[in-house]
Amino acid sequence: MDDLPCGIVSFDDTGRVVFTNAGLRAMLGYDAGELEGGHVERLLTVAGRIFYQTHFFPLLRLTGSAREVFLLMRTKTGADVGALANASRTTRGGETMIDCVLMEVHERRKYEEELLRARQAADRANEELAAHARALEAALDREREQALEIELQTQHTQDQAAELEAQQEELQAAYDQLLARRDELEAARIAADDANRAKSQFLTTMSHELRTPLNAIGGYVQLMEMEVQGPITEKQRQSLKRIMSSQRHLLQLVNAVLDLARIEAGRLEYRLEPVDVEAMVAGVVPMVEPQLAEGQLKLTHSVEPGLCVRADREKAQQVLINLLTNAVKFTPEGGEVSVQARVDDSSRLVRIEVRDTGIGIPPEQLPRVFEPFVQVPSQERREREGTGLGLAISRDLARGMGGDLTASSSLGAGSTFTLALPRA
Amino acid sequence: MDVLTRNNVKVSGAGAQPMLFAHGFGCDQNMWRFVAPAFADDYRIVLFDYVGSGRSDVAAYDAARYATLDGYADDVLDVCHALELRDVVFVGHSVSAMVGVLAAKREPERFAELILIGPSPRYLNEAPEYVGGFERSDIEGLLETMDKNYIGWANYLAPAIMANAERPELGAELSESFCSTDPVIARRFAEATFYADNRADLADVRVPSLILQCSEDIIAPREVGEYVHRALGGSTLRQMQATGHCPHMSAPEETIALMREYLSRRNGD
Repeated sequence: MDDLPCGIVSFDDTGRVVFTNAGLRAMLGYDAGELEGGHVERLLTVAGRIFYQTHFFPLLRLTGSAREVFLLMRTKTGADVGALANASRTTRGGETMIDCVLMEVHERRKYEEELLRARQAADRANEELAAHARALEAALDREREQALEIELQTQHTQDQAAELEAQQEELQAAYDQLLARRDELEAARIAADDANRAKSQFLTTMSHELRTPLNAIGGYVQLMEMEVQGPITEKQRQSLKRIMSSQRHLLQLVNAVLDLARIEAGRLEYRLEPVDVEAMVAGVVPMVEPQLAEGQLKLTHSVEPGLCVRADREKAQQVLINLLTNAVKFTPEGGEVSVQARVDDSSRLVRIEVRDTGIGIPPEQLPRVFEPFVQVPSQERREREGTGLGLAISRDLARGMGGDLTASSSLGAGSTFTLALPRA
Repeated sequence: MDVLTRNNVKVSGAGAQPMLFAHGFGCDQNMWRFVAPAFADDYRIVLFDYVGSGRSDVAAYDAARYATLDGYADDVLDVCHALELRDVVFVGHSVSAMVGVLAAKREPERFAELILIGPSPRYLNEAPEYVGGFERSDIEGLLETMDKNYIGWANYLAPAIMANAERPELGAELSESFCSTDPVIARRFAEATFYADNRADLADVRVPSLILQCSEDIIAPREVGEYVHRALGGSTLRQMQATGHCPHMSAPEETIALMREYLSRRNGD
């Protein structure tokens, strides 16, 4: 036994060592007799002892043998020795014995350690790969999600683009409509202009056409009144007077109608200049003096001195004459007409008020006095009939100069017509 | 996968009260071969393998679950639930002693007795006072040995085991897989066992218990046995003559006798 090239140890189930050979003692550095009777665990490191109790002994106990079991042995001096063990558990002569053959495994141990390291490295590499694969998978999933998002957004953008296109088409249609409308309006304007021009042309022509015979009538009547063509009787003179009166009336009517038409056609030209109000009023009063005398009416005027308006002198006078004539017409005998001019509260306008003491205008008719061809019925009307155009024209003229013509009245007390003009 | 298949559960015995055997680290239910049959007349014997050991279903192994002893306690309770065991006499060896403690802590009403063979609540020493028996380097050495033996154990397949059937004293039935076949699982079981610390769990258990303390057991030394006895309320400590860590294999008669004595006393015989 001692010459065999291996270590041999025999022990019982309790672990008590019964036999060792020289090879084993040499492996672990013991002398003869040192190990017998002691516990087999003495030959092992602590790790080896745990392994013996948990694996090696149970293996032997349950199967009867152990093959190529690696054990960490311990030398007498406490050094580690790796060994491979083959063991059998047998019964000899009534006794159960475990025989164990041990061989040192220096080279093999190194080789095995290399293999083990390589294997563990491979396992780690595999794990890393798996982790990478998982990370890639996760990244791929994220990519897919993002791609999906982008697709959704693209779809969304496309939908929006389609919407915008639709809106653009609507806008285009609306625009086209506007252009068409503009063209229509342009055409209408041209038509209106044409109509206006036609109207003006008509007015000019009519003006000439109407006045010419009227002038002729006037001319020849005057001729006869002057007895150029022979003496005339008193009865004839009366008739001529009536003819002349009608002619004048017709002329007035024609002029008024043509004026109104011209105003409406916008053909009237206003030459605005500073006009001294007191002078203007003083200038028109004499024109109504005959009527004043006829009706035994009193006329008063009071104008702030130095008051100036910016107006077309002729047209302003025309309005004033119109107002005065009306006032005189509607004031009963012995009544009073007054003209006053003052600066209005805003101090930008001058108000020229023509007041009469006539019967006044009923409230429901007051708004209508400025309408063309409207005449307020009056019991006190003079014989002379008006055209009903005076106030309409007067208001248009006043407004054309940047002012206005307004009326107020109290029944039985009289009326006041106010011409307002911009202060100069 | 039902629990009975997953944990290779074997039920036998003529008795009514269940006796559940839990193997320790490094082996499988075969380690009870010399003790369990002695109780077959009086008890219903339930044997099983933890997932990853013996002939359990390795596919059911979950590294997270079995990283701590709680996962193993889950196996014990799963078996109890599957068989609707009540009034269980739990027999646990080595690390299974603590597994039993954890299971009894979770479902105390299910267990009648705990029989703990070579228990240790913590294997690592903890300065200044606690002696578990080992330093970290010792455990690392164990793990290295286990790693190395995988290479050797690749040869431990059926043919080698079958050859031993010629030896009559070993009995006829031998499982085809002995100890842990998967080295990774075995290593993790080792880590779960030797790095565990269940000292605090002992005080929570009130199930009566028997502690079988071996002589000269480096894995569960006497101081540790006494520590467990002090911490485990209602425990009985029996010092054995058997040496080493596996009295149920090296000294089955003494083991059986002590168990019988305890159980009959407890039942008032």
